[in-house]
Amino acid sequence: MNYNDVEILFAEDSIDDATLTIRALVKSGFTNKLYHVKDGAEALDFIYCRGMYASRNINEKPKLILLDLKMPKLTGMEVLEKIKSDPNLKSIPIVILTSSNEDPDVQKCYALGANSYIVKPVDSDNFFNAIKEIGMYWVIINQPIH
Amino acid sequence: MANRNKSDELSFANKELASQNNEKEKWAQELVIANRELDIANKELAFQNEVKEKRAAELVIANRELAFQNEEKEKRAAELVIANKELAFQNKEKEKRAAELVIANKELAFQNEEKEKRAAELVIANRELKHAEDDIRKLNDELEQKVIERTAQLESANKELESFSYSVSHDLRSPIRAINGYAKILEEDYSDKLDSDGKKTLDSIMHNSKKMGQLIDDLLAFSKLGRKQVTVSEINMTDLVRTVIDELLFEDDENTPEFKINVLSPAKGDQSLIKQVLINLISNAIKYSKYKPETYIEIGSDVKDKLVFYYVKDNGAGFDMEYYDKLFGVFQRLHSQEEFEGTGIGLAIVQKIVNRHNGTVWAESVLNEGSCFYFSLPESSFPHNCF
Repeated sequence: MNYNDVEILFAEDSIDDATLTIRALVKSGFTNKLYHVKDGAEALDFIYCRGMYASRNINEKPKLILLDLKMPKLTGMEVLEKIKSDPNLKSIPIVILTSSNEDPDVQKCYALGANSYIVKPVDSDNFFNAIKEIGMYWVIINQPIH
Repeated sequence: MANRNKSDELSFANKELASQNNEKEKWAQELVIANRELDIANKELAFQNEVKEKRAAELVIANRELAFQNEEKEKRAAELVIANKELAFQNKEKEKRAAELVIANKELAFQNEEKEKRAAELVIANRELKHAEDDIRKLNDELEQKVIERTAQLESANKELESFSYSVSHDLRSPIRAINGYAKILEEDYSDKLDSDGKKTLDSIMHNSKKMGQLIDDLLAFSKLGRKQVTVSEINMTDLVRTVIDELLFEDDENTPEFKINVLSPAKGDQSLIKQVLINLISNAIKYSKYKPETYIEIGSDVKDKLVFYYVKDNGAGFDMEYYDKLFGVFQRLHSQEEFEGTGIGLAIVQKIVNRHNGTVWAESVLNEGSCFYFSLPESSFPHNCF
């Protein structure tokens, strides 16, 4: 896969949530532009072109980063903090995905610069629609900085 | 010769007489002098007599005085006798009293001994008291320590509960979401390979997982109430009821309820929480009236025994008062899911909110005729932060 064409970087450790999210995005037409990483550390490796992503062009930034909060190694919040404190990267929209509306970290996420915070709906239709709309809005409608 | 003699004799006699006369004169003179002296002496005597008489008179006075003084002395002597007697009596009294004093002194000495004994006992008692105080202080310290420990335990229990809620919402929702999602994939991609029973089963899986998600969300909403900060302010209840009704969405096919909103007494409480109470009660009134040809809902307030209370009254399905004690229980339902959908959290939330305002919630109903739900919000309600 060509890492430089990635429009949506999707970090999610749960295979099930990843499967369903990817399915929703693929069904909405984002098939080839989506890349899934399994934890926060891999997400940063991708962004900073480290390790297995060393060959990637650092100037090709994704249009959207979808971050699950609870992930091994580095959490979604740590990734968020890192990216939003980097002047070269902070313009990339970041949408936080979480299973819980009880999350004590909602406010923290916004304070750290999250662009949106989505509670994954239990109902599959709602879940599908939510993911589709996220993709539509941030990748297609939203006007990024050139 | 005889004559001559006689003349001689006569001359002589004369001479003799003359001498005698002289003598007499001398004597007369001497007598005069003597008289004079006598007179003087008499005068002197008279004077002396006068003096003596004076003195006698004085003596008489003196005597009288003396007699008077004697009388006085006698009087005084008599008084002295009386005084002596009195003194003697007093002496006797004094002796009596002295004897009594001796007895009293002995008594006092005895009492002193007793007091010393008691003092000694008091010293012991004080020591015991001191020990008891020390014990109490120690116990208090221990108690305080325990309170601190318990508070810490409670705080940690609270934190645990919070992380439990988070865990419930996060970790329980994920598998449910997966079940629902995979069932959806089956439906979308493999439905042509399923017969009608298979499709029905798939529908049930999706329906139940959805319901499970709803239950988790309701449970969380309920537990969140306990932690929510309560902000008390004046609430215009009439306006709040109108807002709630305006915000309710009515499907076209629903029989649009007819509302009678009376002028409600203002209340003191947390506006967003009280709004939730009204939303739940009014939604229930609408929901449980859905099989009635017309829905009539009355909302009002009244005062009874100085207690202001509000009510929401409907003409809906009502409930059997026999199961009243289950009415406000979490996930307790008095109607079947098929008849009226719901998870059974609404009234539990109502009760929790009203209780947090120190109020009471109660209801009356006649099955198939309608229900009336009441809640009171005491004027001086200070919300409980824990329950």
